[in-house]
Amino acid sequence: MMRTVAVLGVLIAVGTLKLPIESNLAALHRQEHFRGVEFNLDLREKIGQLGFIAALSGFRAMVADALFIQAFAAWENTEWGRMLLLFRHITTLQPRVLLFWDTAAWHMAWNASVAAMNDQTQPRLALRVKAQREYFALGKDFLERGIKNNPDRPDLYEALARLYKEKYKDHERASEYYAKAAALPGAPTFDRRFSAYELSYCEGREREAYERLRRLYDEGPPERLPTLIKRLKFLEDKLGMPQEQRIPDKEDKIAK
Amino acid sequence: MTDAEHASTLQPFNASTSAKRYRPFSFSRIYAITINTVTELTRLKVFYVLLIFALLLIGSSIFMAQFSFQQEFQILKDVSLGAISLFTSLLAIVATARLLPQDIEDRTVYTILAKPVPRLEYVLGKISGVLLLLAISTVVMGAAFLLVLYTREQAVMHATLRQMSGAPPDQVADAMRTIRSSAFNIDIFPGIVIIYLKACLLAALTLFVSTFATSNIFTIVVMAFIYFIGHLQATARDYWLQEHSSGLVTRVFLAVVALFFPDLQAFNLVDDIVAGTAISLAVFAKTAVLGVFYTVIYTLLAAFVFYGKEL
Amino acid sequence: MTNPAVAVHGLTKIFSVPFHRQSIVAVKDLNLRIEPGEVYGLLGPNGSGKSTTLKIILGLVSPTRGRTEIFGRDSRLVESREAVGFLPENPYFYKYLTGKETLLFFGRLCGLRGAKLKNRVNELLDLVGLSKARNRRLGTYSKGMLQRIGLAQALIHDPRLVVLDEPTAGVDPAGSREIRDLILDLKQRGITVLLSSHLLAQAQEICDRVGILADGVLVREGHLQELIAIENQTEFVIADASDELVREIESFVNRSRAKLIERRKSTTTLERLFLEATAKNDEGVTKQK
Repeated sequence: MMRTVAVLGVLIAVGTLKLPIESNLAALHRQEHFRGVEFNLDLREKIGQLGFIAALSGFRAMVADALFIQAFAAWENTEWGRMLLLFRHITTLQPRVLLFWDTAAWHMAWNASVAAMNDQTQPRLALRVKAQREYFALGKDFLERGIKNNPDRPDLYEALARLYKEKYKDHERASEYYAKAAALPGAPTFDRRFSAYELSYCEGREREAYERLRRLYDEGPPERLPTLIKRLKFLEDKLGMPQEQRIPDKEDKIAK
Repeated sequence: MTDAEHASTLQPFNASTSAKRYRPFSFSRIYAITINTVTELTRLKVFYVLLIFALLLIGSSIFMAQFSFQQEFQILKDVSLGAISLFTSLLAIVATARLLPQDIEDRTVYTILAKPVPRLEYVLGKISGVLLLLAISTVVMGAAFLLVLYTREQAVMHATLRQMSGAPPDQVADAMRTIRSSAFNIDIFPGIVIIYLKACLLAALTLFVSTFATSNIFTIVVMAFIYFIGHLQATARDYWLQEHSSGLVTRVFLAVVALFFPDLQAFNLVDDIVAGTAISLAVFAKTAVLGVFYTVIYTLLAAFVFYGKEL
Repeated sequence: MTNPAVAVHGLTKIFSVPFHRQSIVAVKDLNLRIEPGEVYGLLGPNGSGKSTTLKIILGLVSPTRGRTEIFGRDSRLVESREAVGFLPENPYFYKYLTGKETLLFFGRLCGLRGAKLKNRVNELLDLVGLSKARNRRLGTYSKGMLQRIGLAQALIHDPRLVVLDEPTAGVDPAGSREIRDLILDLKQRGITVLLSSHLLAQAQEICDRVGILADGVLVREGHLQELIAIENQTEFVIADASDELVREIESFVNRSRAKLIERRKSTTTLERLFLEATAKNDEGVTKQK
């Protein structure tokens, strides 16, 4: 009897001791981008009982992968609606896997949108365009939420920049997002250049774009790629720059 | 020579110095029980079934070639690490649940404790045996996983080299680097260590439960319950610590869960590690220390209850 | 005065059964003293408290009241156990270990190591006659062999006291005889033996002193021969007596104040007959009569 009381006492004492430690550790985990998934009724509703229990027990990744394989099969059947639903679950379960956000956005903004545009069952062009733009928006949404969950990594910023550039033809936003990507550790070197290129297509921001490109040019030969030279030359002509301030002509020959 | 004749030629040795031989704490005593426990557990059928299942799961990831290599590597890593996690958690519970009850039922515990072996050392020896077995299993499965990952990585790299045979060298280098970085991530190692520590915690907790449980099934059912609730403890704890206007019964229930159950979600870091989240030394060290702390506490509690147990 | 091998002072053990109002009194105010070098038999029916008493002496169970000591050291101290070896009832060692591995394991628990341990193990395997079976798993051992390996592990650390709980229960006559011989050999070497049994005929053959427990109380105790001697009767065993001699002795007795109670042929025991009949010759074949 005494022993039982002693054991309970120890458990309560240890419990009280560990409570703040666990809370702090959980906060630290969340701060470092771990444990971002909330196990609540909402999640359980979305992915069902079995998936919820499996995810809860530390097999969240496997559940997401299983759903991903299903999404792959759905893609083979061009079931865009089902794919959308599955990718919503997948990204909820694994918010830190860039691949899932990227693939989801790709399927929506690049694949589904094209399928909608070429949809033989929809004779009216206006409605096809509308559907296409809806898919663009869904892709954009995936990437924006992906960025919210992964603010520390450049990949999704790049993907969003690409989406703005290729689908929305919005060079300003594209430039903005390439710049954001470039500011993060591990960003590839071309992000800075691409940001500047995109800016060079924006009306009214030629001077700013020129300054950025020129700065890159001044860094040396690694940055003096053909496209960079071409854009510099284009801007120099558009801005009507005096000859002494322009980059050497011989670069022209290389560009040609 | 008959038995009787032979026997009387035996000399009792050092009977007078035997009083000096007893040492209050002896690693070699604990070690003898540890090794014995490992041998005993490797004879369990369930050990082999689980191990083969885990290895099969890891090996099956080879058949994921239909996806892009990033997707394939993602699935391979998730499945393998999930298998390691599942195996170690299950084995920790199932193997430990029967350790003490089996010895008590078979009465081998009498022969051991009738020797000058303190009960604490007996418990330490038993749990060390389980932890050692779990460590060996983790290393074996980890090695199998790395082998499969390496094999697939090499295969993808060779296929890509062939495809890019006309491309400029820096592009090829870039591609190789992308493949390598999406395959192997050094942070997987601390992730596996955390998985192991979670299994250690479960083993120690199972040992504690088995000291007052009435049967093996009881222990396992209780541990299944604790496993489930332990994964919800963080949610319960957050809910309780925030000021919610919930009823008294709910608040008491949440308090009980928060106080008595370990936060098992703290040890589920490997999914995010595979996703590319870097694990800092601070995070790893704090999580590891928590795991070790729980393991030690539960083991001591088990020893304490066992100390007073009527055999 | 040297310490007794075992001393039991006012030992009481009450087991409280949860959810029942009545507790079980297993042992009631027991006092015992076993001197070094003797063979003591603790006898009694099942449930009389024999096993409980042994377990308390070995520190496996704690007393409700009173205390027990081994060579002057309290049983509750772990070090008291390095002078005692225990063979429990129906022991079940790890089946997958061989005889040799089992003894090595127990030897290590007692702090033995290296060459000393190996030599000790070989000695004991010879002593209990299991040298040939040393590399066979205990799962293949007969009951008698298991009892013998059990005895060997009890002796591994050269204890001065050996406690045996029902050492011959379930063992066939040949095996029983071997165990009995081993016990007598232990006695010859000065080792104290405390055994519990309900096989009274066998206990009678080896014990010096006995104590009879019934319902946890020591009802009789003393030297065996004194206890079972029928005070007023005398036995003679005479070989090659002629009929005339027998008649003379009978009439002699009838003329005195003594009364002749019985005259009969001496008997061997059924056990000796059995062993003789089932003895195997050198090739291991049962001898024909």
